[in-house]
This record gives sequence, structure tokens and C-alpha cells, in this order.
Amino acid sequence: MSDIAVQDLNVWFDKNHALKNVNITVGGNQITAIIGPSGCGKSTFIRCINRMNDLIAGCKVEGKVIVDGKDIYDKDVDVVDIRKSIGMVFQKPNPFPKSIFENIAYAPRIHGVTDEDGNVHKASKQELAELVEWSLKRAALWDEVKDRLDKSAYNLSGGQQQRLCIARALAIKPEIILFDEPCSALDPIATAKIEDLLIDLKNDYTVLIVTHNMQQAGRVADKTAYFYLGDLIEYGETKQIFENPKQELTEQYITGRMG
Amino acid sequence: MNRRSKEALFFNIFRGCALFVVIVLVVILGYILINGVGKLSIDLFTQNPAPNSHGAMVAGGILSPIVGTLMLMAIVLIIAVPAGVFGAVFLVEYGGNNRISRAWWMIVNNLAGVPSIVWGLVGVGLLVYYLNFGLSLLAAGVTLSFVILPLIMVATKEAIEAIPPSIREASVALGATKWQTVRHHILPYSASGILTGIILSLSRAAGETAPILLTGVAVNAAIPSSLSDSVQALPYYIYLMTQTSDRSAAIPMAYAAALVLIGVIVLLNLGAIILRNRYRQKYRW
Ligand SMILES: Nc1ncnc2c1ncn2[C@@H]1O[C@H](COP(=O)(O)OP(=O)(O)OP(=O)(O)O)[C@@H](O)[C@H]1O
Ligand SMILES: [Mg+2]
Repeated sequence: MSDIAVQDLNVWFDKNHALKNVNITVGGNQITAIIGPSGCGKSTFIRCINRMNDLIAGCKVEGKVIVDGKDIYDKDVDVVDIRKSIGMVFQKPNPFPKSIFENIAYAPRIHGVTDEDGNVHKASKQELAELVEWSLKRAALWDEVKDRLDKSAYNLSGGQQQRLCIARALAIKPEIILFDEPCSALDPIATAKIEDLLIDLKNDYTVLIVTHNMQQAGRVADKTAYFYLGDLIEYGETKQIFENPKQELTEQYITGRMG
Repeated sequence: MNRRSKEALFFNIFRGCALFVVIVLVVILGYILINGVGKLSIDLFTQNPAPNSHGAMVAGGILSPIVGTLMLMAIVLIIAVPAGVFGAVFLVEYGGNNRISRAWWMIVNNLAGVPSIVWGLVGVGLLVYYLNFGLSLLAAGVTLSFVILPLIMVATKEAIEAIPPSIREASVALGATKWQTVRHHILPYSASGILTGIILSLSRAAGETAPILLTGVAVNAAIPSSLSDSVQALPYYIYLMTQTSDRSAAIPMAYAAALVLIGVIVLLNLGAIILRNRYRQKYRW
């Protein structure tokens, strides 16, 4: 699975220098947690990986993000292709005001589906239905919604909407998947399900997760990166970050003396 | 004054205002209805205006003004709606939030406030004489399109901007192109707002007199058989009736025409409500 090498990444929102010279290599088939106090640039960082910051007026990105040996900020890169292979789950659930089914079927409808030989073809009804079921099952939502797939996604609870968004991201069969605090609106049961899902996902994907929940990072992440005021302060094995941080700032945050 | 009586005071002030609005509306509509209803007949809808024995155009019906108004609205629908909606979509979605697009919107907003007689003047100078349209259905229709183009653009912009940005992000993050995002999400979700804007603008166009007065209407115009013919229209007909010397015959005709014009507008608004509700039900958030 794809490694992501971030080199000298700088991001500005107008004058606000939100990420400062970030260098980090995120490995495939593992989960990387991004932690740090509110406003330190966690969301900004993961949004650089699928170029979502391109949408924001006044946002300037410098540096390289190399995925599979290719800098996605290169001029000749088609940004739509990048996003097709990277799934993203946002901090706040953002389903489309359509049915549950249509939410998940949307991406396969516009992109088609890929068969075993790597050929893309238009998704048949049957394939869409299977894909929707597969995605919902993986996002631990299937049992709750299987009888009302044609109902509006807006009738779901906040936590269900978030799992729907996870299912929607899975349906594009991405190689990298970015989670921005996916569990902040979830109860402990749903959270546990999502954590199982994350661990399951890392067999096939490169997973990045932003979280405010230290225990969660400890439970699921192989590696953890700590950001503070736009700087990457420390990055290493999760166990080492939590038990034996090298940086003073990291230790203060982990032990709750700051944040 | 304590909190409770303050609350009651303001509540009653608001209630008074609401009542005032309703009363004014009822009085105006009632007045037109009472004065115009006597003239409603089959002949009114099937005959063109005709001269009476003194040569004033107060006899006959109002067929040609009704058809003329509908034709003008058809032209407006064909020109102003696509231009306005897609122009606004382009400016919002592709223009970005930079100085140039802000300048564009400032111009559009100002154009929306330009008095309609000024548009009439532009129409007569630019279309009728410079582009040689002549006093015609086309010149009048295009001038009316000018009047409501900025209104449609503003309505479209507001409808698009009411969609939460997070929904746009969701689409883009799934690898949808800009056009796919617009086509599959932005337009459908804003359709109810856009449709409302379109239909309100259309009713505005139906009632405008000044822009067509200078560009295409004529007292004795029949139903146009081509775009270069002159045209009759309901608001112009009402205006004519108030200018005629034969008042006793003309005024009831004016009220009858006003009643029909209001009827056309009410029908349009009903259409707007039905369409809007259909889209609201489909895309609810
Ligand atoms: N769209 C934007 N426009 C302007 N500034 C922004 C924008 N998004 C983020 N910022 C700024 O960039 C900095 C980093 O924000 P970011 O959203 O990445 O923080 P975060 O670590 O995700 O915080 P949280 O934990 O609260 O989500 C902040 O100073 C923020 O004000
Ligand atoms: Mg954030």
C-alpha cells in the first residue's frame, strides 16, 4: 500500500502560517494518528494529502506530498485522480441530501467500477447494490439501515451519518483513507466498531486518523505524530510517543498539562 | 415597564403591522376585483381590442395583450433564465472569491437596482435603433430580459451559497470534477431557490411597462406573427386605458386587464410553489 512522503510542507491561510516545514513519512498498511491541541493544523495537514485545501480561497501550499513516488502537487497531476484513490471522512458528518443508497452509490456511479483485470466499466445496478451493502457492512451501519436505504440520509442520527460518510468513502475503494476525528459524535459502542474497522482497514489501506482522544490513538495507531502550533513536534511509534516522549512539548500534551 | 408587558407591547406592534399589510392587500385586490369582474366574459379572452364608435380602442377584448404578454415572457424565459442561472453558476463556482468576481457581483447587484425606464432607454438606443431590431417583440423581449437578468443571477447566487460548503467538499473529496459537483449536487440542491427566483422575476417581467413602452408595443398591434412585429401587452394596455378620453368605457377594461394580469402572476407563483415543494421534498436538509 501507498507510502506518503511529505517534504517541507508549508501552508498559509492568507497571513496565517498554519503548517511549518512539515517532514514526515507515513507508511502503508499501518494506522498513523495525528494528535495535538485544537487549531494546531491537524485538519490542515490531512487535507493536504488529498488536496482539499485547493478549494479554500487564500490558502497557499508549498512543498511536496509524494504518494507512490509521485508528487501530487506536481503541475501535471490530475487532482481528480488523486482524490479518487484517497477517501476522506470529515470532522463533521456531511452526507448528501439524498437517500442512504444514493450517498454511497454516488462515487461508483460517476467513476464506474474496476474489475479484476483493472478495467473500469459502468457500474450495473447489481454491482451498485453489492457495493452499497459491502460498504455499509464495513462501516458497521448495515444492520441499522438495511430496511430504509431509500430514505433520506438526513433522517439518520449524527453518529449514523458519520458512519454513512465512512461507508461512502470506502465505496471508492481508495488506497489511502483519511479520518478527521471520525468518532467525535459517536457513542462508545459505535466508536468501538469504528476502531475495529480502522484496524481491519489497515490490511488494505494506508490510514491516517486525526483524534483528540489519546486512548483511541493508543488503541489503534501504529505510529503517532504530535503537532503543535503548525509544527510537527514529534513522530514515532505510538507506544514510544505515549510512554517515552522525547520532546518536552509532547510530554506536556500527553500528560494533560497542556491542551 | 416589566419584561412581560414589554413583550406584550412588541407582540401587539408586530401584530398591528401584519394586520396592516393584510388589510392593504385585501383592499387593493378587492378593489380591482369589484371594478374588473363585471367585464370578465368569453369575449374578453377571445377578441382583440377594437375601436368603439368614437375611435377609442376601448371595445373588444384583450386577447392580443394576453398573448403578447405570454410571448414576451417566453422570450424572457429563453434568454434571461439560462443566461442568468448559468452566468451566476459560472461566477460563483469558477470565478472564485477574488477581486474580479467580487467586482462582477457588485455590477450585477447595481444592475438589479437600475430603474426599468433606464433599461427601456438602453433597449431603444441599443436594440431598436443601433442593432436595427425596430419596435418589435424581440426588442421588447430582450429589454425585459435585461431587467430581470440581474435578479435571476442574484437569486441563483443566494440559492447556491445557501448550500453548506461541507456538501461541496464531500463531493470533491470523492473525486467528482467541478462540473460533476455542480451538475449532481449544487444545481439540484439549489433548484428550489433558483426556481423561486426565476418565477418571481418572471412575474416582475410580466408587469413591467416602461421597458416595453419604448421598445416594442403599439396601440393597435395584433398578435405578432414574427419577432419583428410590434406587440400588445397587458401592462401597456392598462396604461393605455387610463390615458383614453372615453373614461367610462376604458376604466372597467383597465380593471379587467389588471385582474387578468394578476391572475397570470398568481398562476406563475402557484407553479413556483409546486415546483419548489417537489424539489424540497426530494432534497431536504
Ligand atoms: N478555511 C480556513 N481559512 C482560514 N484559516 C483556516 C482555515 N482552516 C483552518 N485555518 C487555520 O489554520 C489553523 C489550523 O487549523 P486546523 O483546522 O488545521 O486545526 P485542527 O488542528 O484541525 O484543530 P481542531 O482540533 O480544532 O479541529 C488554525 O489557525 C485555523 O484558524
Ligand atoms: Mg480539525
